[in-house]
Amino acid sequence: MAQLQIEGLCKGWDFPVIDQMNLTVEEGEFFVVVGPSGIGKTTLLRLIAGLESPNEGRIILGGNDISRLPPYKRPVAMTFESYALYPHLSVFENIASPLRARRLPKREIEQRVMDVARLLKIDQLITRRPAEVSGGQKQRTALGRTLVADPEVFLLDEPISHLDAKIRHELRAQFHTLEALRRVANIYVTHDYAEALSLGDRIGVMGQGGLVQVGTAHEVFEKPQTLFVAEHLGQPSINILDCELSTEDGVLIACHRESSLTLPVAQAHAQQLKRGNASHVSYGIRPQYITVIADGEAVCDSLHVVDCTVSLFEPLGTYAILMAETAGATITALSSPEHRYEQGESIRLGIDTAEAFFFDAVTGKNLVL
Amino acid sequence: MAAVDPKAGGGAQTSEFPEWFLKKKRERLLIVSRWVPISLIGLPVLVLLAIVIYPTIWMFFHAFHNTTLMSLTRDRYQFVWFDNFENVFTNERFLNSVVNLVQYLVFGAVLEVILGTAIALMLFSVVKWNWMRTVLLICMVVPLMLPPAMTGLIWLLMLTPHNGIINEILIITGLTTEKIEWFSTSLSLWSITFADIWQWTSLPLLIVYAGRASLPQSIYEAARVDGASRWKVLSRITLPMLKEVIAIAFIIRFMDAYKYVDKIYVMTSGGPAESSELPVYIAYQRGIRDFQVGEAAGYAIVIFAVAAVLVTLFLKYLKKVLKAQAIA
Amino acid sequence: MRDRHYKLVATLMFVFLGLWTIISLFPYYFQFITGFKGIEEVNRITPTFWPDEFLWSNLDLVFSDETNVAALLDTLLIASANTALAVFLGSLAGYALARFPRQAGGENMAFWILSNRMFPPVAILLPMFRAFDTVLGSTDNHLSLIILYLVFNMPLATWLMMVFFRDAPRELEEAAYLDGYSPLRAFFKVTLPQVVPGMMSVALLCWIFAWNEYLFANMLVGSNVAVNTIQMPGFVQGAQKLWNLAALFSFVAVLPPVILFMVLRRYMVRGLSLGVVKG
Repeated sequence: MAQLQIEGLCKGWDFPVIDQMNLTVEEGEFFVVVGPSGIGKTTLLRLIAGLESPNEGRIILGGNDISRLPPYKRPVAMTFESYALYPHLSVFENIASPLRARRLPKREIEQRVMDVARLLKIDQLITRRPAEVSGGQKQRTALGRTLVADPEVFLLDEPISHLDAKIRHELRAQFHTLEALRRVANIYVTHDYAEALSLGDRIGVMGQGGLVQVGTAHEVFEKPQTLFVAEHLGQPSINILDCELSTEDGVLIACHRESSLTLPVAQAHAQQLKRGNASHVSYGIRPQYITVIADGEAVCDSLHVVDCTVSLFEPLGTYAILMAETAGATITALSSPEHRYEQGESIRLGIDTAEAFFFDAVTGKNLVL
Repeated sequence: MAAVDPKAGGGAQTSEFPEWFLKKKRERLLIVSRWVPISLIGLPVLVLLAIVIYPTIWMFFHAFHNTTLMSLTRDRYQFVWFDNFENVFTNERFLNSVVNLVQYLVFGAVLEVILGTAIALMLFSVVKWNWMRTVLLICMVVPLMLPPAMTGLIWLLMLTPHNGIINEILIITGLTTEKIEWFSTSLSLWSITFADIWQWTSLPLLIVYAGRASLPQSIYEAARVDGASRWKVLSRITLPMLKEVIAIAFIIRFMDAYKYVDKIYVMTSGGPAESSELPVYIAYQRGIRDFQVGEAAGYAIVIFAVAAVLVTLFLKYLKKVLKAQAIA
Repeated sequence: MRDRHYKLVATLMFVFLGLWTIISLFPYYFQFITGFKGIEEVNRITPTFWPDEFLWSNLDLVFSDETNVAALLDTLLIASANTALAVFLGSLAGYALARFPRQAGGENMAFWILSNRMFPPVAILLPMFRAFDTVLGSTDNHLSLIILYLVFNMPLATWLMMVFFRDAPRELEEAAYLDGYSPLRAFFKVTLPQVVPGMMSVALLCWIFAWNEYLFANMLVGSNVAVNTIQMPGFVQGAQKLWNLAALFSFVAVLPPVILFMVLRRYMVRGLSLGVVKG
């Protein structure tokens, strides 16, 4: 049972980076940690690997407490963000390294290394040095080195961040299909939330001090527990309006503090908000829930329509980002790239208020869950 | 589900640090066994202790006694407080040698660094072909490879007043009309200094050359695009960036200069009439030839202490200057 | 300075460089020609720039004497043994200071090790003379010099190796740890190959120092063991001052360091630049 348990993990240098973190990753689970750069994701991996010593806390792998073990005694394998391939050794030797450490017989080493090389499609390159292969191939070599080690937990530190989009896509597919990864626990670190949503069985959003929310892709995206989580996931970023809640004609509305924009609060949300006595909130609505209403188009009830003027239009291939101004506030919407909008053009946007989030302006907590 | 901290990740800064953070030790925690660094540094330190600490203690001990070689073998010596140290500061011969040392350092070490730097930079900017640079560099570094003692002897031979080849060249080229007495009382120190310059200029040269070679090309290209004149490039770009390297070259040269007495030994034996003596040479003579161990110990300790203090001060000053430069 | 004056200045500098090169090489050349002159020619009032007669027989005179050959061999032994020892110890200490600065003593330790290089030889000589006398029976053997030169070579080796180890990326060792190698094995498999060029330059510097050392050799050895640097004065201390033979012998004695430097010059420049620029 190769379950990974982290209990009360604490680590800090000039300030606390990981504060009392608890996490359990099941055997066979692909757990993705996503968060901004420098927040401590790599530190978490290094703590599990044994390359850093925690100030407090325990790490338990498969029932054994490995917290006090040095890294060379832990059944852990890690791919480094910089690949950390041995420059003076060939690709073959790089992959064979963990097996040579265990002093396995030559024949077995050769067989296992070639198996992995073939699996990752780098078997033609095994005699080359790391300096002579491309980024994607270096990546696969590093991955091969961890696969061959047959550990009880895989740690993958931003393995495909530095590769171009096409190769990233290829390798993502590989992560989905690799059998070996499915046998043990995996922790995958990335700052790209799209990658996280695609690969992760569960996603942990990491903020200052530790994991802010853990859940499935759907949960963290559709039900963010804090403003931080909502802001961090999504491209383009979620619209956040600093609002004051007030009642007008018995209906709860959100008044943007910095402009004259007011938005109605959907029924379902209103009840909970009234119960919690909320007043100062951060109103969040994702760009995908704001659509352009063409002239004469029918509008369903849940959509709140506003008149805007276009301030920026960015066609990006399959979709387009539209930034518009209304009543003094700027909001971002998604639209199709086929129709081009001119700056200053007047358009109507429909806001699906049922998909709005309400976060407490002080604590950031999602008030309507 | 993991522990959720609504405050964390919201950008809201915790004003108070958690307890475990405040209690933690400040230094970096080790990930390998504690014994690894200890055993690694243990062996060298032990060796050094044996061959350095022991002599140091020995010297200190005898600096406070009136030991001579005779009394050493008979273990008969008396405690004389600071007599030996007092001697250091009052002995005329020694003080003379200190004056010589200053002259030697200024026209030796300092000049070597300046000359070496100039040549290194010249080599870099004027010689365009790499192979030529290498050839010239090797030729210029040859003096460094020779034993100082042998260099001294060769220069002794070359500077022989009555039939030395140097005098011959000077006369042939018309720079002088008569043979120069290189080993008279007024010139003996200069002869040693010339031999020294000849031999050791290539050390700062090598160091500054290596430093210059490792400066990023992009800055120079940018300067060229900006149309900066060569003088400006030199004074505003090259020299400031090489400050640290030049300083280190100077320290290395300084550390060696005041303790190498090989040349004095073979060229002039300190003479004639003590005109080319340096402090360390005197310590040497008094201790080994005249057997005044205690007195020599006094000299050695003072010399070492002064040098150590100077180098430390210089390093501290250098660090400060570099920090300011790094910030600016 | 205006660029049109630059051509003039550049030419002057070129000339100066040429001059300095000639100056650098001249004494060596002088040594060479003196070595093949006859002794009367050397003693003449007007020195010559090329031997009247090239006396190859001088080679025979110098090297048929066993003691001269022995001196060169002894120096080879001492220099090589000392270099190996200095580089070995220096690497251990340098690695400790680079990777575990706090636990290995930090800046203070590094400075203390380096400061030993500033020790006036005198301070070491007297006590060690007695120590070797009592422990080894006499100072006139290889061991005394091999050990003594460590005082100067080990700090240099430590300091330079420390800088080189600092430059070797830590991540490679970490990857090796995760592969399952203990620190010792990881060191040999991953770290050492990274610093080999640096090690070469350190070894060269130490070797040259040991080969060229005069003072200690003069004091400590003489009859059983001889070193090239003390052989040379021997030629001119007898009844006849055989400067020509002395020059020839020293010319040959100086060939090894020069040749080594030419062969390993790439490492020297790289090593020094890294060592000094980053140290």
